[in-house]
Amino acid sequence: MTEWDPKIVAFCCNWCSYAGADLAGVSRMQYPPNARVIRIMCTGRLEPEFILRALELGADGVLVAGCHIGCCHYISGNERAEVKIAMTAELLDVLGMDKRRLRLEWISASEGRIFADTMKDFVNQLKELGPNPVKGGAK
Amino acid sequence: MEKTESSVLVIGGGVAGIQASLDLADKGVIVHLVEKTPSIGGRMAQLDKTFPTNDCSICILAPKMADCFGHPNINVWTMSEVVGLEGSRGNFKAKVLKKARYVDENKCTGCGECLEKCPTKELPNTWEQKLTTRRAIYMQFMQAVPRVAVIDPENCRFLLEGKCGVCKKVCKREAIDYEQKDVEMEFNVAAVVVATGFDVWDPTPSTEYGYGKYPNVFTAMEYERIINAAGPTHGHIQRRSDGNEPATMAYIQCVGSRNLKTGHPYCCSVCCMHSTKESMLAREHIEGIKSTIFYKDMRACSKGFNEYVERNKRDYGVEYINSDATVQGQKENGNPIVSFDIAGKSQQREFDMVVLATTLVPAKGNVELAKTLGIELDEFQFFKALDHTLEPISSSRPGVYLAGYCAGPMDIPESVAMGSAAAAKAMEALVQRKVFA
Amino acid sequence: MTKIEKIIEDAGAFDCVECGKCTSLCPVAKINPNFAPRLIVVKAQAGMESEVKADKDIWSCVTCEICNDMCPYEVDFSGFIQRMRGEAVDMGNSPVCSEAGAVHTMQRLTGKGQKQNRLLWLTDDLKVKDNGDVFFFTGCAYQLGVLFKDKAEELKRVPASVVKILNAAGIEPVVSNNEVCCGHDLIWSGNEAVFEELMRKNVETIKATGAKTVVFSCAEGYRTFSIDYQDFLGDLDFEVKHISEYLLDLIKEGKLEFKDSNAKVTYHDSCRLGRHMGVYEQPREILKAMKVELVEMPSIKDKAICCGVNAFASCSEVSRKMQLDRLLEAKGTGTSAMLTFCPKCLIHYNCLLTMEKKPLELDKVEINVRDFSNFIAENLKGGK
Repeated sequence: MTEWDPKIVAFCCNWCSYAGADLAGVSRMQYPPNARVIRIMCTGRLEPEFILRALELGADGVLVAGCHIGCCHYISGNERAEVKIAMTAELLDVLGMDKRRLRLEWISASEGRIFADTMKDFVNQLKELGPNPVKGGAK
Repeated sequence: MEKTESSVLVIGGGVAGIQASLDLADKGVIVHLVEKTPSIGGRMAQLDKTFPTNDCSICILAPKMADCFGHPNINVWTMSEVVGLEGSRGNFKAKVLKKARYVDENKCTGCGECLEKCPTKELPNTWEQKLTTRRAIYMQFMQAVPRVAVIDPENCRFLLEGKCGVCKKVCKREAIDYEQKDVEMEFNVAAVVVATGFDVWDPTPSTEYGYGKYPNVFTAMEYERIINAAGPTHGHIQRRSDGNEPATMAYIQCVGSRNLKTGHPYCCSVCCMHSTKESMLAREHIEGIKSTIFYKDMRACSKGFNEYVERNKRDYGVEYINSDATVQGQKENGNPIVSFDIAGKSQQREFDMVVLATTLVPAKGNVELAKTLGIELDEFQFFKALDHTLEPISSSRPGVYLAGYCAGPMDIPESVAMGSAAAAKAMEALVQRKVFA
Repeated sequence: MTKIEKIIEDAGAFDCVECGKCTSLCPVAKINPNFAPRLIVVKAQAGMESEVKADKDIWSCVTCEICNDMCPYEVDFSGFIQRMRGEAVDMGNSPVCSEAGAVHTMQRLTGKGQKQNRLLWLTDDLKVKDNGDVFFFTGCAYQLGVLFKDKAEELKRVPASVVKILNAAGIEPVVSNNEVCCGHDLIWSGNEAVFEELMRKNVETIKATGAKTVVFSCAEGYRTFSIDYQDFLGDLDFEVKHISEYLLDLIKEGKLEFKDSNAKVTYHDSCRLGRHMGVYEQPREILKAMKVELVEMPSIKDKAICCGVNAFASCSEVSRKMQLDRLLEAKGTGTSAMLTFCPKCLIHYNCLLTMEKKPLELDKVEINVRDFSNFIAENLKGGK
């Protein structure tokens, strides 16, 4: 039996965090490969449904990464994302899915290091939390 | 003509009961015609014209009413109800309660002086469908037979409080009798004919038609009284909200009938034809009026009926739309908005006036009467025939026969025919009694 | 008989005489003339099953049941729509769901077997039990209050309000953290499989507590248990009651007292409580007992206007127009609040009221759409 490895879906905004992820790669920074990165133009595009559906389909964690507040390419998209994520996190708690499975980080295009560190930290945390209970994992 | 000793009781003074009485009386039978209201005539007297001939309804009925009342073999008991029936075919004992009219039928000439002097006004006139008012002393309608006034004991000041007495003072014939009492009578009869007719259904509970909420929505019976020259508007078609003449009219069929929800799943059999008639007559009253009839199915089955409908479309320009309709709103000018469906597209159209072809239902008193007479009702509370196919005139009790709408939906010619049929069946009871006597 | 043929027959579609009364009353048909209940039934009668299944208009119906109510031949149009939607989804005809489908995902997620935290609203002053005669089914009110924080935050307080009211009447209801979504939105959006799973979980959970009576504050939960669960499972082992019926009995026994109130409100008959379940008088009787003045809107009881959205699967400009019409009626009553028992109605009306670019007619509308259970709790004597 293979040991369980957390599956992460990472929504990265095109302008900052996706570029940041790219930088991490180009700079050959090592970080665990658990994330499936999905590029969206802005974190403001995020629907709570994306997060819920990812978790329903079996993701163990969802990372949302966007521009720092005040630096959003579309001015205030990330502010809207903040509100939606806060609400989704509360909902996850009520559903018994632990809001720590949802993580929101502001990562700029030059913060490749932070991207890599975030990944490492998130994977460790998810290893502690265990597999997504919706998959049948005990909680 | 040999007079027989035995007689027949006819319950209900509408056209079916009148026909049955005349048929029997002409054969020498003594008839006791018992009518609940102050005058015979029934529903036909309330209509304006009859389809498909467009005869004036009261004009063709009144001679029969007069014949009936004046016939030496017919005893007309108005204000009366049957309260008991014992015995069997050929030998019934019927108990009839004649309620006090407070006016002596032998003295009153119908001059009408008292009607104008009564101080208690503004009582709803139910015969005129509450479109106008009457006083505490009143004549049921102008052509009433007998043409005798009647006092409403629930609203007469003298009968309630001992005050007034004006009608008695002005009556030149001293016909007013406040002391009159209800009288119980007993008749020995060989057979009974039940011809108690129908009531008009009140569409107020079906709020999708807006009756009562939107003033320019009328029932068909209200409309009959409106177009009648002797009615509350002297034959002028007027809207309730502003008294204006309508330029457009809508007729909605099957209001309450063919409907499982209202408890009347049967077809009332006459409203397709009476809406055709009414729209035709509207054209004769108001030039250029545009009428539309909204129907589920057009039931024009008897002789001359289909030609009547086609004539209406062709010569009177009435539009027939095959869709049920409802009234769900009105414009500020009081025009009801009719909602319907053409080829699956919802449409709304405003009309100046809407007439609902409300269903006709078994009379309220049928349940009591069925118990009194010992006969069965069907699931809709019409009186049940002994056998639907081969014994439609006989009720479930031998010797008691049925005629007219109280046995099931039918129009005037059918009611008259059934009245004659019931008379013929009643004769059987008489003749057999004679044979076996 | 094929499944479709059975659906058509069960709905009584062959009794239809094509009179068109349904279409004349349909609120959707009035705004969108391309939609007609009559046509859908006629097509089904004619055996045009594949056309009906592929028709996008099967999602336009708001399932308000005014057609069912008024049909002279008792054709079960909404039942037909419900079951056809199951078939439609199977062949790829899916609705465009509001919130990109988040509500349905949340509802499905309740039933995956994990330990939920449904009782976060339960404070120490509220008394509940694990086993007993009366089960209070909380439903998704709290979750919807979280999801629609900007529109319907008061929904989070509904379960607490109900328990508070029951406690005041001397009743300690059973509540369970093992409840799952009743499945209403799932069966009305064509997902019969998940609906069945949720249904069986709920019935088991309730049975385990030994409850004889289950009380609902949510109009939709009440309808789903009363009609849909019984369609699938037959008679349930427990009685199902709406909070308005249950409280009215308690009020008549003198077990509830209310503060003096000079509130003037109007009441919205939600489709699921009104036309679907026939509960019209009880909420009005409660307001009378509370001595709150009720000013009725023009379209009430069986003619109430639907809030325009059904199972989050039919939101469109038609819904907006229906909501606007209703809110204008509410405005016309001059009252300060429109009360409703349905959390969905509350969400949808508030969605229109909180839109950034409201329709102009709504500019001067000062009406609050409020949850009835919260309103009762606020007006309890000795209450907050």
